[in-house]
Amino acid sequence: MNQEGILRHSATRLLGLIPTLLVLITIAFFLIRMAPGGPFDSEKVLPPEIRANLDAKYHLDEPLMQQYFRYLGQIITLDFGPSFQYKDWTVNELIARGFPVSLTVGGLAMLLAFLVGTSIGITAALRQNTAMDYSIMGVAMLGISIPNFVVAPLLILVLAVYQGWLPAGGWDWSIQRMILPVVTLALPVIAYIARLTRGSMIEVLHSNYIRTARAKGLPGHLVIRRHALKPALLPVISFMGPATAGLITGSVVIERIYSIPGLGSYFVQGALNRDYTLVMGVVIFYGVIIILLNFIVDLLYAWMNPKIRYDEVQ
Amino acid sequence: MTPPNTSFSKPVLAALVVLLMVPSAWSSVVRRGLGPEPDSLNIHQAQGLAAVNLLRDLREGLVTFDSNGEPAPGQAVSWQVLDGGKRYRFTLRPDARWSNGDPVTAADFVRGWHHAFSPENPAVTAGLLQSILNADEIIAGTMDVSMLGIKAIEPGILEVLLKEPAPWILEILAHPVSYPLHQATLADLRQAPVNGAYTLDEWIPRASIRLQRNPEYYASDTVAMDTVEYFPIEEPTAELSRYRAGELDITETIPAGRFKWLQENLAPDLHVHPYLGSFWLGLNLRHPALGLSADLRRALALAIDRETLVRVVLGAGEMPAWSVVPPGISSYEPAKMTESGWTQEQREAEAVRLFSKSGLGKRQPLMLQLRYNTSGVHRRVAVTVSAMWKQVLGVLTELINEEWKVFVNNRKMGVVTEVFRGGWIADYADSSSFLDLFISGNALNTTFYANPAFDQLMDSAQLTGGAERKHLLRDAEALLMQDMPVIPLYYYVSRHLVNPRMTGFADNVRDIHLSRYLGLETESP
Repeated sequence: MNQEGILRHSATRLLGLIPTLLVLITIAFFLIRMAPGGPFDSEKVLPPEIRANLDAKYHLDEPLMQQYFRYLGQIITLDFGPSFQYKDWTVNELIARGFPVSLTVGGLAMLLAFLVGTSIGITAALRQNTAMDYSIMGVAMLGISIPNFVVAPLLILVLAVYQGWLPAGGWDWSIQRMILPVVTLALPVIAYIARLTRGSMIEVLHSNYIRTARAKGLPGHLVIRRHALKPALLPVISFMGPATAGLITGSVVIERIYSIPGLGSYFVQGALNRDYTLVMGVVIFYGVIIILLNFIVDLLYAWMNPKIRYDEVQ
Repeated sequence: MTPPNTSFSKPVLAALVVLLMVPSAWSSVVRRGLGPEPDSLNIHQAQGLAAVNLLRDLREGLVTFDSNGEPAPGQAVSWQVLDGGKRYRFTLRPDARWSNGDPVTAADFVRGWHHAFSPENPAVTAGLLQSILNADEIIAGTMDVSMLGIKAIEPGILEVLLKEPAPWILEILAHPVSYPLHQATLADLRQAPVNGAYTLDEWIPRASIRLQRNPEYYASDTVAMDTVEYFPIEEPTAELSRYRAGELDITETIPAGRFKWLQENLAPDLHVHPYLGSFWLGLNLRHPALGLSADLRRALALAIDRETLVRVVLGAGEMPAWSVVPPGISSYEPAKMTESGWTQEQREAEAVRLFSKSGLGKRQPLMLQLRYNTSGVHRRVAVTVSAMWKQVLGVLTELINEEWKVFVNNRKMGVVTEVFRGGWIADYADSSSFLDLFISGNALNTTFYANPAFDQLMDSAQLTGGAERKHLLRDAEALLMQDMPVIPLYYYVSRHLVNPRMTGFADNVRDIHLSRYLGLETESP
């Protein structure tokens, strides 16, 4: 691979991040403010003078454009401001505490899903149209179609409430509290990866160069490992970019059912409570993660697929 | 026959199980569900129940609550009521101390209150202190905060001056907004010294909050539990699972729809108790049909079969409501609708009579919109009510579900609302906490009810005290129930699961359970 080409490509991609984020910030900023109600609206009514003082404190009394540019100026210094809803914390603090949790749960789930998903996918592909293949793919189909909020309570009921083997929820960075959420989160991804792997592996196994490798007498497991694996995993890799971004930024359902303090709930809570700063903070953070992961996937792709070269486009 | 291949797996499995076992609770820890994540532990920013309950463990006002949830001496050991109820003179406990050992003085209270009224950092709950002398003027910015009706007479003597007598003020003095602040506090409220039974040990947002017994607290030797762990769990079903798995001793609530199952399976743990709150349907009196005729409003109220509603639709111990003020306020008997003693058939017959009297009937169906905020319970209530209205009166109801912030704004503006979900939970155990909502011009008067006779009764009640006051308030409520700007549906209940080994947890109408009274009996073999 051409080093310079890769570098130039990376620089262009990273520069492209700036306009993308600007568009994202602008749309999110005005959308959340268009929603009726504000952070200080509640069932009880604040005395108007107190309300005015609060609005002034958070600059909510300024014209919208002025607030927008004030916000842009603020995030250049990577300061997302104080949260309206969780008043004792800044948005930076909340993300700094929530993201490691989501990253751990999502990262482990992705790892598990990748290892198990590709293994059973390959197994099924190698035994195409056998009972083994059908049963693996049948189970995978179930895994895709049964939603998290059905699987999670069942797992809790059996493993935590009836058997008492695992805690029913909560978070303290211990492994036993990670098992259920990681497995729940991984199940549908395992199923999806298994199906992807099987499909592309079957395709690769029918290609001419594999036939050639077989013809020259290479043992079966070497054919798979040296020649078939990399191209067969390409669709899995491109799926994993956005999927990983989704997993490591937290799942609202998993967080609610297992009471996990990850990032996912901040999206929903922030939007429902008109916590402007929190919503903006997580949207920007999520945007950066997605863009970065897609970029990493592109690099991995180039490394794995000899057909892609970044230095050719001149 | 092949021997079963379990000789290996069994010990391995057993070892795994032991490894994965939840560390069982040790006896001096109580683990409590908290509901949502507290919004703030700053006494002037805390609004939600979760935050207020936590602050009651960490800090204390002049007044606190006893184990039955009744106001009791806190940082003040005693007080005198002077000037016909307009001046209170508090004597502080000589042994009241901050968690760093400093004595709690009258000046700490003055500092706290002045801070609550500061324009730069206004307390969101400062409105609770509006009966304090000059509070309104200070909030409006026309008077300096030093004129607030609180005075440090001596380090151990504090005086509180009121605009008008306010018999419920002691309960307000137990609310976080009136707590004292240590002089080192203003810089960082999270690190600040506290004066309650517990100190904050660790706070992991949305995961857990751990408190440790405060050895400087004056009653520390009566506090049984060394550690209190609060778990914010928003999802009631998740809370129930954790309770059933033995990870919680007290839950904040129970999931809707599980009441029957819990009654059958966890009866000794289930605590359901009347709570100082009422659920009603508000009627926007600016709406032409609804505003015109009290007969129509009464017909709508009588057509709803409350017994069926609470038994079948809610089914968690709620009681049918016939008044705005719930029962449970000492020496106040709510002024219930006269029809509360009738049978439902009688009520429905009367409903039809009143409905046709107001010029409507099944031939000219009335169309109404019923608004509620997103919630399973509210939806079920709305569906039931609309069905009952249709059946009895032929009223056609359009159900409108709105997100919370949209809903509260619409309700406040009163432009699009017709019938809407309403209700109130008492700020303090006094009927005026409910009845004040219907004074004309009150910002919370979302029905836009305006009856000079009602306002007059409320005014006179404010100037009197004792039995006379209760009498006037009851007359006001009776008038309200004649005019029917709201249709009371049911009185709220508090619901908890409590470990049967727990001691010191007494059900009460305020649903206040300070951790300092809790204990855990050792497990009997």
